[in-house]
Amino acid sequence: MTVILSDLLITALNEIKNSKTLADLDGIRVHYLGKKGKITAQLKLLGSMDPNEKPIFGQEINATKKRVEDELQLKKTELKKSTIAKNIETSSIDVTLPGRAYLSGSIHPITATLMEIENIFLGAGFVIKDGPEIENEYYNFSALNIPENHPARAMHDTFYVGSDLLLRTHTSPVQIRSMETEGVPIKVIAPGKVYRRDSDLTHIPMFHQVEGLVIDQGINFSHLKGILHGFINCFFEKELELRFRPSYFPFTEPSAEVDILSEDGKWLEILGCGMVHPKVLENLDLDSEIYTGYAFGMGVERLVMLKYDIKDIRVFYENDLNFIRQFN
Amino acid sequence: MQIPTEWIKEFCGIDATNDQMVNQLTMAGVECCFLDSSTQEILDLSLTPNRADCFSVVGICRELAVLNNLNIKTDKHDDLAIHHQGEMNIDIESPNDCPVFMTRIINNIGINRETPDWMIKRLESSGFKSNNIIVDITNYVMLETGQPLHAYDLSKIDSKIKVRRGYNNEKITLLDETVKKVNKTFLLITDNSKALGIAGIMGGQHSGISADTENIVLESACFNHKTIMGRSRMLNLHTESGLRFERGVDPLIQKHAIERATQLINEYSDGQNGPISVKQDDESIPLKQPIMLRKKRIHQILGITIANYKVDEILTKLDMRVVEQEYGYSGWLVTPPSFRYDINEECDLIEELARIYGYQNIDEKNEIQETTLFNTMKRATRINHINNVMVSRGYSEVINYSFISPSMNIMMGTDSKTIDIKNPLSIEMSVMRTSLLPGLLQNLMYNLQRQHENIKLFESAKIFTHNDKTNRENDVIAGISYGSRTKEQWGLESNPIDFYDVKGDLEMLFSSLEINDQVAYIKGSHPMLCPGKNAKIDLDGITIGHVGELSPELIMELDLVQTPILFEIDKEHLKLPNQMNYQDHPYFPSSRRDISLLIPENQETSAILKTIQRLEIPILKNVIIFDVYKGKNIEYGRKSVALGLIFQAKSRTLTDEEIDRYMSHIKRQIVSNFELKIR
Repeated sequence: MTVILSDLLITALNEIKNSKTLADLDGIRVHYLGKKGKITAQLKLLGSMDPNEKPIFGQEINATKKRVEDELQLKKTELKKSTIAKNIETSSIDVTLPGRAYLSGSIHPITATLMEIENIFLGAGFVIKDGPEIENEYYNFSALNIPENHPARAMHDTFYVGSDLLLRTHTSPVQIRSMETEGVPIKVIAPGKVYRRDSDLTHIPMFHQVEGLVIDQGINFSHLKGILHGFINCFFEKELELRFRPSYFPFTEPSAEVDILSEDGKWLEILGCGMVHPKVLENLDLDSEIYTGYAFGMGVERLVMLKYDIKDIRVFYENDLNFIRQFN
Repeated sequence: MQIPTEWIKEFCGIDATNDQMVNQLTMAGVECCFLDSSTQEILDLSLTPNRADCFSVVGICRELAVLNNLNIKTDKHDDLAIHHQGEMNIDIESPNDCPVFMTRIINNIGINRETPDWMIKRLESSGFKSNNIIVDITNYVMLETGQPLHAYDLSKIDSKIKVRRGYNNEKITLLDETVKKVNKTFLLITDNSKALGIAGIMGGQHSGISADTENIVLESACFNHKTIMGRSRMLNLHTESGLRFERGVDPLIQKHAIERATQLINEYSDGQNGPISVKQDDESIPLKQPIMLRKKRIHQILGITIANYKVDEILTKLDMRVVEQEYGYSGWLVTPPSFRYDINEECDLIEELARIYGYQNIDEKNEIQETTLFNTMKRATRINHINNVMVSRGYSEVINYSFISPSMNIMMGTDSKTIDIKNPLSIEMSVMRTSLLPGLLQNLMYNLQRQHENIKLFESAKIFTHNDKTNRENDVIAGISYGSRTKEQWGLESNPIDFYDVKGDLEMLFSSLEINDQVAYIKGSHPMLCPGKNAKIDLDGITIGHVGELSPELIMELDLVQTPILFEIDKEHLKLPNQMNYQDHPYFPSSRRDISLLIPENQETSAILKTIQRLEIPILKNVIIFDVYKGKNIEYGRKSVALGLIFQAKSRTLTDEEIDRYMSHIKRQIVSNFELKIR
């Protein structure tokens, strides 16, 4: 090895060893190994050399080059590591600070519960139907076997918007309309707003109902008991003690109310139901000797109140964010 | 109806605890509880409208007797002594309205005698105030038997009693001193010169008994329940008598009731009895016809088989006449008792069987159904989808009443035709809303008062309008945004919500439904929104909604510090997209060129973008607006808009020359079409 070359190697290695930054290192690389670098320049001497010495000298230059490159690479890795380490040391964050917050919304508990109820019945093969909220006397009352002046109308204090037009007092008219357009067999639920002229601690003039109707051959009261028991268990997510007790609705016979047993041992009424009255079937031009059906109806507010132990029904329509945001 | 439990126990001799009694009655469809559960003294009954027969001690005891196999004590009083032969002359206009009308004149009653304590106690427990002895006895007998009675002062009746329909606009002053106007749908009790009372509902003031009454006429009648039905509601006059008559009073108990009352009057208030005068039309008495009951029908409705002997036993206990029949199949011919107005058809009998047999004894089954699969999820999915987009954008859902006050609705302008409620609960809830926005504004104010700061609300409901004599209901979704974009926090500047935040929310909704490209925002006018700062939203040329700042007048009136942004969109146009079209997505690099335009301040940027779009440059992938600026260094009345144009081809890498060519084309076109400078 020539003296020059070995000197170059020693100084280069020394400089690499003492370099402090990646930029220093790059300067060293250019200084020795760049196009015009000092070690590169040694290659130019090859031309004027004795052909016998040429290959040896050439190998020596390449070996020197390789050595410097390796050292550079080693040092580079070392410097990178220490730079990262230093950065980490100086730039750590306070992980305990709160994260960036954006506004989050929520669904009204009534809508959320409607969805829940709908999903349960969709799973049982029911179809969901909507209908107008302004109804006429026929669909709201007469078709459902509630003639004018019938004392049962007192159960449905009605808002009128015209001589024959009213705000529906239940969603049963939707079922009648569905029957007219689609015929039997039918298996529908009708969710939606209903209106009654009533307002106190436990009554509000607008509330939500889900009513169901199934008409086919061979449908009987035991099926009604089966589906509603299943529904109640699904909805309350537990096995509840319940009872069917006789009641009265003009459009069903036999009629029943369903009560569940509360934790404090009280029976709480949760829905009304019954076998579709033959007169209702006949109003729909169905032969009540062949077709039978069941119907049920429930107040959504009441179900939410029972499920979450809410005491005052009016809270649903105050629309206080502190209330609504609880039901995410 | 309230009845003291001791009265019931005395009457039917039931040997059950009060709790058992309540449970038995409730499970048989006679819903009841104790008025005060600690004392259990008074039974509070919520009778369904069909059970007219339960409106008395006798009625309740009949139910208990069936459930406990008891025999009710039947008061067989000996025929009472007749002291004189005086009778009232009775004239019935239509026996159909009044099939039975009995009267008895009792002279020399002791009107000032005191009602015995036991009777007062029972009356008061049943919710009746004690009056004079005669009124107390008539009430007592009504509670016991279910037959409403009325006592007239004989001296105040002019010659005779006539039962007739009212004349239109005929006026009558009632016992409670109110004056009611009736018409020919009402049945009246009258004499030769005046109305004595509204039949079945309330007596008149001028014929009632008073402290000086000596001789009375006792009335025990059966009015056709269809004639009485609805009259109380029409007058808003709900009486114990009306309640019973409109549901149906047993047509066979008038004699028993008048005898019982007479007996009590004789016992506690003396009096000389005249004979009972009976005006009765046998043809008009609503007696029950036999009903055919088929065994197989019982099974068809209830899903269970009830043994023949059990059917016979239950119906017989319910006072029905049961005759087993062979029609080629098992069945019975059943005649219900006269007091069961609710039993007229086979299904009524099946209900009776079910309720006495016990609903709890009917099995639960799952129906076997054909499995036809429908895609029934669509509706629920759509509602869920829209709600979820709103929630993900920070909106909370509210639900308001569909009716609002006229003064709130006027926010929407005076020219909107409203649907008004004819019998509102209050003026505050008298108009069907034509927009959800007034309600949302009210919700905003409510929550601001409760110190909420950044408020984003939405509602999804129907609005109601009246157009060309037809009522319309439209499903809409509306929202309101107020306050800052984000909550106050470190590391994020909190900017007030503006028009473009809400427009962004809507764009997100429209994009999710794949209609964003068909939607145009056009400067609009809206009664609740600020001129110049609101847009109507068009979808394929049809206006589907509005978005904008609340009008300055309303901001001032509501004393708001910041500006709410509101929107309302017809939901019928927000349909879920059909199945998406999948597209291949090969990658070739894109290039971006930025230009900055100086344009008049009132120039809508969208017009420039549209012009660029119309050039239909195949490789122009997207144009973004990355800056809009006015103020310093920009001449007055102008604004600077910076556009980034992104070019990309689907099947090759673009050359600079090609992009430059298109850029000059674009620049030429916009310069020639608009008053603008390219900076």
